[in-house]
Amino acid sequence: MIPSLCRALISDRDMGGRTKIKGGLNVQSVIQVKNLYKLYYLGEETVRALDGVDFEIKKGEFCAIVGTSGSGKSTLLNMLAGLEKPTKGEVVISGHHLERMNEEQLVSFRRRRVGFIFQAYQLIASMDAEENVALPLNFRGVKRSERTAKARLMLERVKLGKYRKHFPNQMSGGQQQRVGVARALVSDPEIIFADEPTGNLDSRTSREIMALMQKVVKEQGCTLVMVTHDPQLASWADRIIKVIDGKIVSIEVKKKESTEDEEMV
Amino acid sequence: MSWMDLLRMSSSSLLKRKLRTFLTVLGVIIGTTSIVVMFSLGLGMQKAMYRQIEETGGLNTITVTGKEAGPGSPEGSPGGKKGQERKQVTDQLVSQLAGMEHVKSVQPVYTVSAVLLKGGYEATVQLTGMTPEGLESRNIKLAPGGRLPESGRGKLELVYGNGVLSSFADSRGGGTYDEYARLPDIDLAHDTLFLVLDESGYSQSREGGMSPAGFSGETASGAASPAPGSSSGESGAATGTGKSVRKYAVQASGVVAGGQEDYGEHFSSVYCDLDTLKQALKKEFAGRALPGQPVTKSGKPYREFCYSQALVRVDDIHQADSVAAAIRQMGYNAETNAEFMKSMKSQLAIIQAVLGGIGAVSLLVAAIGIANTMMMSIYERTKEIGVIKVLGCSLKNIRQMFLLEAAFIGLMGGAAGCVLSFAVSTVINALTATKNIMGVGGGISFIPPWLVLAAVGFSMLVGMGAGYIPALRAMRLSPLAAIQNG
Repeated sequence: MIPSLCRALISDRDMGGRTKIKGGLNVQSVIQVKNLYKLYYLGEETVRALDGVDFEIKKGEFCAIVGTSGSGKSTLLNMLAGLEKPTKGEVVISGHHLERMNEEQLVSFRRRRVGFIFQAYQLIASMDAEENVALPLNFRGVKRSERTAKARLMLERVKLGKYRKHFPNQMSGGQQQRVGVARALVSDPEIIFADEPTGNLDSRTSREIMALMQKVVKEQGCTLVMVTHDPQLASWADRIIKVIDGKIVSIEVKKKESTEDEEMV
Repeated sequence: MSWMDLLRMSSSSLLKRKLRTFLTVLGVIIGTTSIVVMFSLGLGMQKAMYRQIEETGGLNTITVTGKEAGPGSPEGSPGGKKGQERKQVTDQLVSQLAGMEHVKSVQPVYTVSAVLLKGGYEATVQLTGMTPEGLESRNIKLAPGGRLPESGRGKLELVYGNGVLSSFADSRGGGTYDEYARLPDIDLAHDTLFLVLDESGYSQSREGGMSPAGFSGETASGAASPAPGSSSGESGAATGTGKSVRKYAVQASGVVAGGQEDYGEHFSSVYCDLDTLKQALKKEFAGRALPGQPVTKSGKPYREFCYSQALVRVDDIHQADSVAAAIRQMGYNAETNAEFMKSMKSQLAIIQAVLGGIGAVSLLVAAIGIANTMMMSIYERTKEIGVIKVLGCSLKNIRQMFLLEAAFIGLMGGAAGCVLSFAVSTVINALTATKNIMGVGGGISFIPPWLVLAAVGFSMLVGMGAGYIPALRAMRLSPLAAIQNG
């Protein structure tokens, strides 16, 4: 009964990428994943990192992908961000099929639509906070004065206005990750992918970063997809996708407006 | 990304690894310097060759010399009629040549060995007699105050080459200039020197015993110690006997400009007026064969005066070859500078290729250094490259960034290498200024501006070439490297 519901959901999708939810509510879905497989061949052995995954994420949603290490959650994120090619299946983001793009197109897709937050911050060591934040704008060919102004604004927003001339090695982990958040948001992306954004931080700083991400994402109205192994952190999300052994075991939707709190698959 | 941003990123990553960048650049500096210096040597030789050609009358001069008819020559059976078996440069030929098409002027030249004496110093020189017009056309640059010898004054006036002074040796055992690097205390421009035209007679008298009796002793001592500054006309007739060696007191009309280290075409030449020389020789050798003149089988001179060579000047450089061919047809040797230049050029091309090849090897090594540095840099920055790829840096920009970095190394190395080349070139020129290597004096290393530009451009290209594969590699690096933690 439940798989049929799922199928119904998919079949209800019209060409514009909209999905009809019960009650006729139209919410644009930014990310659609259909029947996604990723196989790794390790010698004789075949590892099914993703074993037939289907889900959708709606615009403006905060979605967490939860799973233990080796569950395939990172592989899933890589596919959503176009960093890895799926073995089979479709990844459609804002109507664009990622699996059909070549590398150059993927890069330009990320440049225009995606922000990224890394576990290890991945700031460029030779650049100060401001330059790091401005980097995605640099790739977009934005003028220097414009990018600096925007980077400054973003740093203010993440409460690092005073640190804009600091280099990564002069900042704490939490501060560096805030720079990372600012960098992800500076180019006004539709979607932000966060890969264990608090994995290298203590729990108090983690909460700060989570709160910051939630707040800023809401302010800018973009979609946030976060991968984590920590169910505690995942509980911040509006939609929680649980992955075990390459398969989705549950999708939990927490919408205050929604009467249905849970939807089991 | 704009070019400015690319430049900024590339230069900042080079600056991050200063020592490594410096060492790589050093390799390019050495490579560029070796190529530039090697080329400058080849170019210096070429320049010297052109200068030599310029001084010997440029490309429109043909040197005509006589030819001894070989035994198998169709003309002139052995002992045949005179004038048939040998072709000599005579007045008749000179006028004949002057009548040829495209010939602008013909200048006879007569060269004879002579000895110059001054206060115990002596030098054997080649005395070249030329007509005033001929001397004019040699483009001799004289030191201030000098003039070319005049004709018809009945007195020999000499023009000394700037290097003549160094060929004087102290006949009292003081040695030569080459041995002691000490120039004799003679002022060629103003002192009166004694000139001995009968060089063989003089050397016989010097050696003594071989010459007729009553000749040796007095003459030798007389030659060795003439009063300094004595200018009493023809006082040199040491022993008035008919067979004695006659010494002419001569003065300079001019000295070729330049010092002992400025080697040139006229470096060790001594010029005088042709007619005056002819008169002096005829007086000296009355009844005998003049030195350098052909003789018949019986040792008698010919009736006609034979010149050493004739310089034929044509009105058009392109006609030089055809005129030379026509003269050869007449049975004379004819050489043009164009032929000389052609053979020199092909030799120089080989020399330059070899020198350039030697330099290129070191630049090749430097290129490998650049490639290695870029590879290292890419491995080191795998994660950073991954991050910028995830953040949306286009593949083209990544490639450009790394190519620019490599080009930067090449450019810096090339520019610094050129500066170093100038220093090396200056040192080489200073060290070789007094020596004549391969007949090329002073300034054997010559760096023209185009060589500098070419060297900088080339080293930049080499840098980019060496950085191309690393740049492609950087471009193809997986962005996943950024996601992996650590």
